[in-house]
Amino acid sequence: MFFHIVLERNMQLHPRHFGRNLREHIISKLMKDVEGTCSGRHGFVVAITSVENIGKGLIRDGTGFVTFPVKYQCVVFRPFKGEILEAVVSMVNKMGFFAEAGPVQIFVSNHLIPDDMEFQSGDMPNYTTSDGSVKIQKDSEVRLKIIGTRVDATEIDKNISQSRPKWDPAGSHPSRFFCIGTIKDDFLGVINDPTTI
Amino acid sequence: MEKGGGGKGGGVGGGGKTSLKSIPASLGGKDDNSAKSKRGRKVQFNTEGLSEGKFTFSSKSDGKFETTYGGLTKGGKGDKVANGAKVSVVKEALPLELRVEQELPKNAKCLMDCEAAHILEGIQEQMALLSADPTIKIPVSFDKGLLYAKTHSHFTNPQAVKGLFQSLSEHGVTDGEICVIANICPETVEEAYAIVPSLKRMVDERICELFQAKRSRLNDLLKEVLIQLAKFKST
Repeated sequence: MFFHIVLERNMQLHPRHFGRNLREHIISKLMKDVEGTCSGRHGFVVAITSVENIGKGLIRDGTGFVTFPVKYQCVVFRPFKGEILEAVVSMVNKMGFFAEAGPVQIFVSNHLIPDDMEFQSGDMPNYTTSDGSVKIQKDSEVRLKIIGTRVDATEIDKNISQSRPKWDPAGSHPSRFFCIGTIKDDFLGVINDPTTI
Repeated sequence: MEKGGGGKGGGVGGGGKTSLKSIPASLGGKDDNSAKSKRGRKVQFNTEGLSEGKFTFSSKSDGKFETTYGGLTKGGKGDKVANGAKVSVVKEALPLELRVEQELPKNAKCLMDCEAAHILEGIQEQMALLSADPTIKIPVSFDKGLLYAKTHSHFTNPQAVKGLFQSLSEHGVTDGEICVIANICPETVEEAYAIVPSLKRMVDERICELFQAKRSRLNDLLKEVLIQLAKFKST
């Protein structure tokens, strides 16, 4: 689900940026650092809508860097347990299928697919009902319920996170949201198929 | 081992909710250790099975559990049976409910997909100007988010839709629930209850607290809202 929230972040700026365009530099650095990232608490920061306030800068002892506390508004996308949403299937295999809803990837295990749907391998692997009326394959739209969520630091960033500077708050390094979903409940499953419940 | 032996003499009858009490005190070796370890952990059968780390679900329930992807689930109170271990008491798991407000900061404003699409399209226009700067890359999640919001925005006038839900929010329906209903756009009241199980609970509470009239009021309201929603939906 999308949310509009206010977040705060401390931006560190190198002295070479001080001058007339200080504010623009802070904002562009904020956008570079934050847009596209994901945190466990807020989900994906899809876009920054406005900067509410840039506080007074504090000079770091021992270096010339200055820290500015910035308050900004942004649109975030965060999936929730218990949420129902519509996703597009991206991959099907015998363990289940992967679907994408916006920037979030959701996995639906074959245990959470109705029992009457069987996996059919082939050029276009899919799940089909016994009478062939309902099919789940790549690019199908399905309505699913999220039953579990997890934030995972991507492989590359695990190394970076160990040497993360102290001023970088925990939630901002690039990571990904994974979800587990189900289509076994009422009113879930393939969309635009009149035979689905 | 010795401690376990001493404790076992006294405690065999204690484990009321499990089948352990049938193990006679004379059994030694493997059974001893497993019995001791079970008792030490307050006998949570589920954790035994789950320690294998298997990603299994029973088909019966869609209960509330904290899952980690491909990992273990901690045995909780209202838990389901993971792989058929014998448990004498199985509580009926509640349907998974949306708990938005508890997890996000208080000032979070829930956006319907159509509202989000509106905002993101505005930002996209600004992005076009900013992309002149080669160091600024438009992140992948923005594109995906925008595409998702656009494909799922059924309504051209988000304000009117919000007004529609006014009566429901007076009845205690939360913002998060309203957004889910608006995003999914259910066709019947039953579908709405299936999508937002907490609505049903609210209805049940109303039966207990107030009169039947209140329940049918929420039903009627929902019906009206859904009919209006269908009208607003652009083809």
